[in-house]
Amino acid sequence: MKNKVLMGLAAIAMVAFLSSCGKVPQTEIDATNAAIAAAQAAEANVYVPAEFTALQDSMNVITAAVETQKSKLFKKFGPIKEKLASTLTLANTVAANAATKKEEVKKEAETLLNDIKAVIEENGKLILKAPKGKEGAAVIEQIKADMATINTSVVDAQGLYDKGAYMDALNKIKAAKEKADGINTELKEAIAKVKKR
Amino acid sequence: MIISSGVIFIFLLFYFLIIFTPQPPVRDMVYARVALSLAAKNKADSYSRKQYKEAKGYYISALSKWQKENKRFLYSRDYSIVAKLAKLAAKAANQAAISSQISYSNLKTSLKKKIDALNNLDSNIDEMFTSYPLTTETRNRISKGKMLLKEAEIIYNKGQYLEADKKITESEYLLTTSYENASGNLKNYFRSYPEWRNWIDKTIAISRDSGDYSIIVDKFSRKLIVYLEGTKKYEYSTELGKNWVGDKMVKGDNATPEGMYKIARKFESNKTKYYKALLLDYPNDEDTANFKDAIEKGILPRSANIGGLIEIHGNGGKGIDWTEGCIALTDREMDSIFRIAKVGTPVTIVGSMQDLHHVMKR
Repeated sequence: MKNKVLMGLAAIAMVAFLSSCGKVPQTEIDATNAAIAAAQAAEANVYVPAEFTALQDSMNVITAAVETQKSKLFKKFGPIKEKLASTLTLANTVAANAATKKEEVKKEAETLLNDIKAVIEENGKLILKAPKGKEGAAVIEQIKADMATINTSVVDAQGLYDKGAYMDALNKIKAAKEKADGINTELKEAIAKVKKR
Repeated sequence: MIISSGVIFIFLLFYFLIIFTPQPPVRDMVYARVALSLAAKNKADSYSRKQYKEAKGYYISALSKWQKENKRFLYSRDYSIVAKLAKLAAKAANQAAISSQISYSNLKTSLKKKIDALNNLDSNIDEMFTSYPLTTETRNRISKGKMLLKEAEIIYNKGQYLEADKKITESEYLLTTSYENASGNLKNYFRSYPEWRNWIDKTIAISRDSGDYSIIVDKFSRKLIVYLEGTKKYEYSTELGKNWVGDKMVKGDNATPEGMYKIARKFESNKTKYYKALLLDYPNDEDTANFKDAIEKGILPRSANIGGLIEIHGNGGKGIDWTEGCIALTDREMDSIFRIAKVGTPVTIVGSMQDLHHVMKR
């Protein structure tokens, strides 16, 4: 009888030991979540959206895997720790890629802003030479209206750039640049036509 | 004997401990997570926002309930609600993914059509109104509408259809209202078409009956057409005054008059600064009557001058409307017309030789 009781106690102790030996890797989870938050702060969702979604997916898998292990009698967090380590690395990579992409977009926006300012300046000089005759013409009026719209766009784009919204600034400035280039060509052609005469 | 019965006891104990451990709905949760991930890849968070939000809400609730159950004693856990929520999440996520795909595809197609339609409208505006004297406000609205359309195209090509949609809607409003406004103005102008048509028919009849030359100037198409014996003989491009829409009313309004005139004088190169010129007998009796009527009605001040010196002259070919109301041709064309025109040759100036329907269609 005494032996049976001892054996029972030993079995319970063993179960208790085995079921409690796996401990949730909370430190690693917190570190990975912090790295994901850092990636988001680096606007990974804007500049590398596909990579950021994959990163979030990876963390969702881990969260579910943690609960799966917590639901078991015998918990095993070893593979989860490995997955957390790789996700942490991925989060850092995504944050770095976002920063790189953001810098690229910033540079592109900056270049275009400088380029368009030069084109606008040139257009301002060309419009004075444009064949507007005695009283000016409707065509010139339309070009002037277009130039005013371009100027407004550039101001808006500069505002977005200054706020750090480089992608939005880039979209705006690209459209304005195309328009400014179009006017530049139109004015040069009109002036050349008059010169030919 | 004691040992073997002990081993069996422990084995059975383990067996029952494992067997009676409540099983979490891992498979349901995996399905839900994968479905959510797929929905996100299909941009359901943007294109089927409500359903995606609902699916995500179910999933978060399922996870939260799972975490809560996991904190309870192992054998008193109940995962049935977790399973139920996970299934709801999966179902909603699948629906969101399908709905998003449809919305995304429909929006993509409809935006492409809108962009094409707006580009056509843009071309129509350019064709019809670039040289048409519109108000500054209308020009600014057209300009802004075109810029927004360009921005929308750039965003559309990046696959950001919701943002593109916003810009397209704004552009559509600006371009459409401007076009309607300008078209309304044009329709108003074309109310005189029956009178123009009458002048055109009379001028061609004079050419036919006299067997001589007659000239018709079509302001809208900027053409000067020479008729001989009632048949079209030559056609030249012209340039007009800045405010060419509408009849000339007063000196300095930069409008080209409309009416039936005759050549009053011919100026050789040494008598004009515009290469060669054919002076018209503007103002005619009708112009004078209209001018007096406008003064009587207070439309024009009593100090107003009806003006004159409306000519067909050279120095044209600039590609824009630049005169103070005259009709400019290139010097080469001026030579041709100068040879055939004589004092008394009819010159009829009309807004358009075609009715508005044909002009708009063109």
